Amino acid sequence: MTDPYLRVENVVKKFGPFIALNGVNLEVYPGEVHALLGDNGAGKSTLIKTLAGVHRPTSGQLYIEGKPVDFRNPRDASDAGIGTVYQDLAVNQLMSVTRNFFMGRELKGPLGTLKMDVMDKIAHDEMLKIGIDFSDPTQAVGTMSGGQRQTLAIARAIYFGAKVLILDEPTSALGQKQQMEVLKTVKRVRKRGDIAIIFITHNEIHSQLVADRYTFLALGQVIGAGKAGELSHDEIRRLMAGGAEMKDLEGELAAI
Amino acid sequence: MSDRSEADRLAQESALARLVRRPEAGAFIVMIVVVTMITFASDFKAFNALGLKNNLAIIAQFGIIATGAALLMIGGEFDLSIGSMIGFAGMSMAMMLKWGLPFGLGEATPFLAFAITLAMTLSLGWLIGTIVVRSGLSSFIVSLAFLFFLRGTTEVSFRLINQSTQISGLPDFKEQSWVAWAFGGEMFGWVYDAWFALGGNINRRGEQWVDGFDARVLWWLIIAGVAYFVLSRTQLGNWIYATGDNKDSARANGVPVNRVKTSLFMFTAFCATIFAACQVFDTNTADAAKGNLMELNAIAIAVVGGTLMTGGFGSVIGVAFGAVTFGLVANAVFYIPWLDGSFYRVFVGVVLLAAVFANERIRKRITGGI
Ligand SMILES: Nc1ncnc2c1ncn2[C@@H]1O[C@H](COP(=O)(O)OP(=O)(O)O)[C@@H](O)[C@H]1O
Ligand SMILES: [Mg+2]
Repeated sequence: MTDPYLRVENVVKKFGPFIALNGVNLEVYPGEVHALLGDNGAGKSTLIKTLAGVHRPTSGQLYIEGKPVDFRNPRDASDAGIGTVYQDLAVNQLMSVTRNFFMGRELKGPLGTLKMDVMDKIAHDEMLKIGIDFSDPTQAVGTMSGGQRQTLAIARAIYFGAKVLILDEPTSALGQKQQMEVLKTVKRVRKRGDIAIIFITHNEIHSQLVADRYTFLALGQVIGAGKAGELSHDEIRRLMAGGAEMKDLEGELAAI
Repeated sequence: MSDRSEADRLAQESALARLVRRPEAGAFIVMIVVVTMITFASDFKAFNALGLKNNLAIIAQFGIIATGAALLMIGGEFDLSIGSMIGFAGMSMAMMLKWGLPFGLGEATPFLAFAITLAMTLSLGWLIGTIVVRSGLSSFIVSLAFLFFLRGTTEVSFRLINQSTQISGLPDFKEQSWVAWAFGGEMFGWVYDAWFALGGNINRRGEQWVDGFDARVLWWLIIAGVAYFVLSRTQLGNWIYATGDNKDSARANGVPVNRVKTSLFMFTAFCATIFAACQVFDTNTADAAKGNLMELNAIAIAVVGGTLMTGGFGSVIGVAFGAVTFGLVANAVFYIPWLDGSFYRVFVGVVLLAAVFANERIRKRITGGI
């Protein structure tokens, strides 16, 4: 079997006295979707910010293709192939699809002019690869649906060299149909085979539709992990609830 | 259904519909209406040889500073110090021309007076920009502080060195200095020569009446042309849009947001300095009150030209239309005898309000109507 592209070893992150992450281990493989699940406050966002170079771990080590790495800032992380699509997506509504796609990394011809035609074509083709046929790359992003914007942000991250694509709750702000669009996008990226995806969600159904591997976080610790085939439905539901038995929770609810 | 995709919901539009929805469409219509009305109300005098020259002079003045203000607004900030910067730059140049270089370094040539002044104003623009991006304070308040500070400094310097807040009767430098000529001379003489050759442009004695347009018209065309090119065709242009639209996402994508903003504050200072240089070398005078309220005219023109107050969106062409409109109305009193000059401000108020509503509709349409 292949080696993990990214390995997280015993990562601890403290904010002052508060232990946000307490010795987390994680491995992500190219061509796989790794679902990262856990309740609010479990530490999911803190973990991905550590991977994205926003936070530095208090202790522990990250490895890219087996080599230890130290990200001092987000630039280091993105240079190492970590592409993060945050919940707000970092898109600008008033600007066109193409201008958003190349924001900060525009293609320039002689005299420093933008190669608008080339950029239009790349933006169109890259988005088509993962599922949206965008007829008009000059359309403002503000007129796009939430799912389309997500696709834009993902296509952009991939085009600019992401080997690990981190999606922070990509489906949480969307309606039913668009959630499915995003899941389709995730599967298409997975099919390429060369990109590892970390998929953060609250939604067990969504995770079961796309995930190859699971890691469950609760109170800053990994309380369970495994491959898709090895975990039962009930086990997944139990771990998502932070380890509590669903029966117990239902019982507690009924007792009130 | 199902083979229908999200993209199909974007209705296909005709070329005309697209044109009407451009940000400068409103400004264009207002301009056409104003040009037509003034043409007839002035009995065509507003566009005879002299009328055209005088109208273009003020249009160019408005156009120069409004272009600067619009670019800065697209980048998400305001500059209320433009008017005071004009006064400051004019004072600085005239004072050097009259009293020599600072620290007794000898006589000032027009080139030196301009270059030293530009160095000062660009530094001031840099300072305003740096304060805004470092402090995170609103540029409205920071540049308001500079509005007072610079106007005050201008008056104090005038009184200390010159004993009076005016300088008049400077020698005419245009003959000897190409720099003075480039700012205060006349350009496009061939237009008026051709006009004369075709049988127009004749004064009462039957000679050629007007020789050329003010140099500031050329400066306006250059500044607007460069601004248009930069905004629509270059990386810097994309950065300006991105910075004004949402600076956090721009930053997250690697746009040097602070440098973009600081450069734009320097650009408004540059525009103010060109405005002042044209004034000083044209009239050979300076006055501490010069440029008063120009910052507000510039912002009003930028808004009428289709620039959003919230940043991220605007059109250099629309701003040019706005400058034409405002310039014509400001000058209309000279060609329409019965008109009260204060109608200019009435007009500005009405048009500005209408433009803000129109722009808001555009913004809502683009951002999905929230
Ligand atoms: N910058 C920070 N400073 C202090 N505490 C933080 C910071 N970021 C996150 N935390 C805390 O760490 C815990 C985990 O947060 P987070 O990683 O955002 O959880 P999740 O994304 O799983 O909901 C929370 O209790 C949160 O309050
Ligand atoms: Mg979170």
